[in-house]
Amino acid sequence: MSDTGRVFRNEMKTFLHDPGVLLFFFALPLLYPVVYTLIYNPEVVTKMPVAVVDESRSAESRNFVQKASAAPAIAVYAYCNDLQEARELMYENKVFGIMQIPSDYGKNIGRNDPAHIEFYADMSLLLRYRTFAAALTDLQLELINETTGERISAAGLNSLAQNMSLIQSDSNFLGDTEQGFASFIIPGIIILILQQSMLLGICMLGGTAAERRRRNKGYDPMQVHGVGVTATVWGKALAYMVIYIPQVIYVLRFIPEMFNLPHYGSPTDYFLFIAPMMLATAFLGQTLNAVMRDRESPFIIIVFTSVWFLFLSGLTWPRYAMSPIWKVLGDTVPAIWGVEGFIRINSNAASLSEVGTDFAALWILSLVYMITACMVTKATMPFVCKQKWQESKV
Amino acid sequence: MTNIGFTAGIRRELSRLGSRPIYLFGMVLVPILTAIFFLGLLDEGLPEHVPTGVVDLDHSPMSRSVTRSLNALQVITLTEEAESYGDAMKMVREGRVFGFFVIPENFEKDAISGRGPTLEYYTNLTYFVPGTLAFKGFKTVAVTTAGGVVKQTLVSMGLSDTKANDMVQPIIIDQFPIGNPWMNYGIYLCPSFAMCTLALMIMLMTVMQITSEIKNYTSPQWLATCKGSISVAVTTKLLPATVIFSSIGIFILWLLFGYSHFPCYGSMWAMVAATLFLVIASQAFGLFACCAVPNPRLAFIICALFGILSFSFTGFSFPVQSMYGWLGVFSWLAPIRYWLLTYFTVALNGAPVYFARLYMAALLLFPLVPALLLTRLRKACQNPVYVP
Repeated sequence: MSDTGRVFRNEMKTFLHDPGVLLFFFALPLLYPVVYTLIYNPEVVTKMPVAVVDESRSAESRNFVQKASAAPAIAVYAYCNDLQEARELMYENKVFGIMQIPSDYGKNIGRNDPAHIEFYADMSLLLRYRTFAAALTDLQLELINETTGERISAAGLNSLAQNMSLIQSDSNFLGDTEQGFASFIIPGIIILILQQSMLLGICMLGGTAAERRRRNKGYDPMQVHGVGVTATVWGKALAYMVIYIPQVIYVLRFIPEMFNLPHYGSPTDYFLFIAPMMLATAFLGQTLNAVMRDRESPFIIIVFTSVWFLFLSGLTWPRYAMSPIWKVLGDTVPAIWGVEGFIRINSNAASLSEVGTDFAALWILSLVYMITACMVTKATMPFVCKQKWQESKV
Repeated sequence: MTNIGFTAGIRRELSRLGSRPIYLFGMVLVPILTAIFFLGLLDEGLPEHVPTGVVDLDHSPMSRSVTRSLNALQVITLTEEAESYGDAMKMVREGRVFGFFVIPENFEKDAISGRGPTLEYYTNLTYFVPGTLAFKGFKTVAVTTAGGVVKQTLVSMGLSDTKANDMVQPIIIDQFPIGNPWMNYGIYLCPSFAMCTLALMIMLMTVMQITSEIKNYTSPQWLATCKGSISVAVTTKLLPATVIFSSIGIFILWLLFGYSHFPCYGSMWAMVAATLFLVIASQAFGLFACCAVPNPRLAFIICALFGILSFSFTGFSFPVQSMYGWLGVFSWLAPIRYWLLTYFTVALNGAPVYFARLYMAALLLFPLVPALLLTRLRKACQNPVYVP
C-alpha cells in the first residue's frame, strides 16, 4: 500500500473512533442546516403591530388606515389619543411603528393640497423597517393613483385621466424571487457550515495529537510513522474529503430542495465547484493545527470565527463596500469564495465558467494551504520518529 | 475571621489564568478584536453605490434622461451597460452587477403618444442588502419618470407647476426612523454582534476554566484550596474572570458609544448595568453547562451550540415575533436577548430605564439555576473522570 493510502486508512480509523470528531463531522452538517432553516423559514415579516394616532378623524383618514391595515406587513395594534401614549406602547415593544395622521389631513385632500402623514418606525431591526418602508411606498403609490385620478377629472382634464398611467413599471426579483429571508441566507450559511464543521473536526484531531505528543516526548503513537510529509498531509486531506461526500450531497442537494429554497443550479456544476473548497479547507485545518494545544482548543479558536466569516462572506454586508483589508482577509478563507460561487450557481443558475474566478481562487487557496500544511506537519514530526523508523527498517 | 480559602482560591485562579496564552486570547483578544472588526467593517454605515447595469434599447433623449436619473442616485452606481437582456443577466450571474434597468425600444415615442411603455427592472435578491437598495433606486426612478411625464402633460395643458406637482404627489408619507435616521448598519449590527461574541466567549471560557480542572485531575486540589466548599471554589474561580469580562464589556461600550459616537438616547448607566449583568448571566450559563454535564467536550458543545445559534434565534436580523412560536421560546433562554432588548429600548428608543426593568431582572435570574446544581459539580470534582 502506498504511503498516502496508509495515512488515509489510519486517519479514517482514528476519527471514526473519536465521538467528539464524529459529532463535528456528521451531526453538525446534518443538524445545523435544518435548525437554521427552521429559524428563518417564515421567510417574510408580516403583521407588524402599529399604533395609530388619528388626529384628523375624517372619512379620508379612516380610508387611509383601512388601506394601511390591508397591507400584509401592517397590523393595527391600537388607536392612541396622542403621540405620548403611542410612544409608550413602543417602549414596551408592543408596537414597532406609529402612524400619525395630522388634523388637517382630510381638509387638505378635499382642498387639493398635498396631505402629509407621519410614520415613526422602530429601528431595532432593519428588516422590520425595510418591510414597513416598502409597504408604505406601495400604499402611497396606491393612494396617489386614486387621488390623482380624482383630481384630474375634477379639474376637467378627463382626456388625460383616461390614460393616467402613461408609463408602467415592472419589477422582477432574481435569485430569491419570494424575497424571503431563509431563501437568501441559507444557501450561504450551509457553505459556512461545511467549512466550519470540517475545521472544528480537523483541529480537534490536531489538538488531541498535540496532547499525545506532549505525553510521549514529542512522539505520537497514533500517527503513521516513516512516511513523508506530503503523503501524510494528502492522506489526511483525502480522508476528510471522502468522509464529507455524503454531507456535501445532503447539504447542497437536499437541504434547498427539502425546504423549497432556491435551487436552480446544475448539481454537476456545484459539486465540481465545491470540491476545491473542501480540499482547501482540509489543508487549512491541518495548517491551523499549528496552534492547537489540546482537544478543546478549537472551541476557543475556531467557533467564534464563524461570525467573522459570515460577515466577510458579504451575505450581510456586501463585499464591494468593504475596505481592502477586510476584503483581503476574506480572500484567504475558502468558504468566502465558496459562498459567493455557490450562491450564484444555486440561486442565479450560473454555470461553472461564470464563477470561474471563484473556482480558480479556490484552487490557488488549496495549493497555498497544502504548502503551509506540509510545513506545519513537518514541524510536528520529530526527527526521533524518522530515526526509529529507519532503525526498524534495518 | 475564619479562613475559608477565599484569598487562596483567587490567587490560585490568577496564576492559572496567567499560565496559558489561550486565556488571554479567549478572554481579552477575541472579544475586543471582534468589536473592532465589526466597527471597521460597517464603518460606512450604508453600502451605497451598489454596482448595477442599464440596458438602453431606445437610445433616445428621454431614455438618456432616465439613465442620467439612475446615475444621479446615491444608492446605486451604473457600472455596466449591456446591449441586451441576455447580456445583463450574464453580468448578474457573474456577480458583476446586483441588478439592471431595462428601457424598452420606442420608449420615448410610446410615452409621448400615451401607449404606455413598460420600464422593467431586475434586482438580484441573493444578496439582500444590495438587492433591496438597488430595488429602491430603480423603483424611485421608474415612479418619478412616470410622474414626470404626467406632470409635463399637465403643465403643457396650462396648469401651474405647483398645481401640477400637487396633483401628481397628493399624499406624502413622511418616514421617521427613530434613533437611527441615517439607517446606519453599524448602529444596528455592531452592538448586538459584538456583545453576542463577548457572551459566547464568556460561556466558552467559563467552561474552559472549570473543566480543565477535571480534565487535568486537579479538581480535588482546587476544592481543597477552598476548604472543600464548592461555592467558595466556584466564586473564587469565576470572580477574576467577572472582573476581566466586565472591563472588556465596558471597553466595548466605550468603543461603540464613545469612540464611534453611536447614539444612546437613554441612560448610559443602564447600558453599563445591563452589560455587567450580561457578563454574570453568561458566566452562569457556562457554569450551568459544567454542572449539568461535568465533561469538557459536552459542556463545550452545549455552550458553542447555544452561543452560535443565539446569534440567529435571538432575532438580530430576523425578528423573534416572526419565527415559529416554539423557536421563539429558545430566545428567552439566551442572556444576550435581554441585553439586546435593553439596548433597543433604552439606547435606541430612548425609553426610561423603567421599561427595561424586566430585562435586567431576567439577567439577574440566570445565576440561580447553576446555584441549584452545584452539588453535582462538587461530586464530579471530588472524583474527576476525564472522558475525551
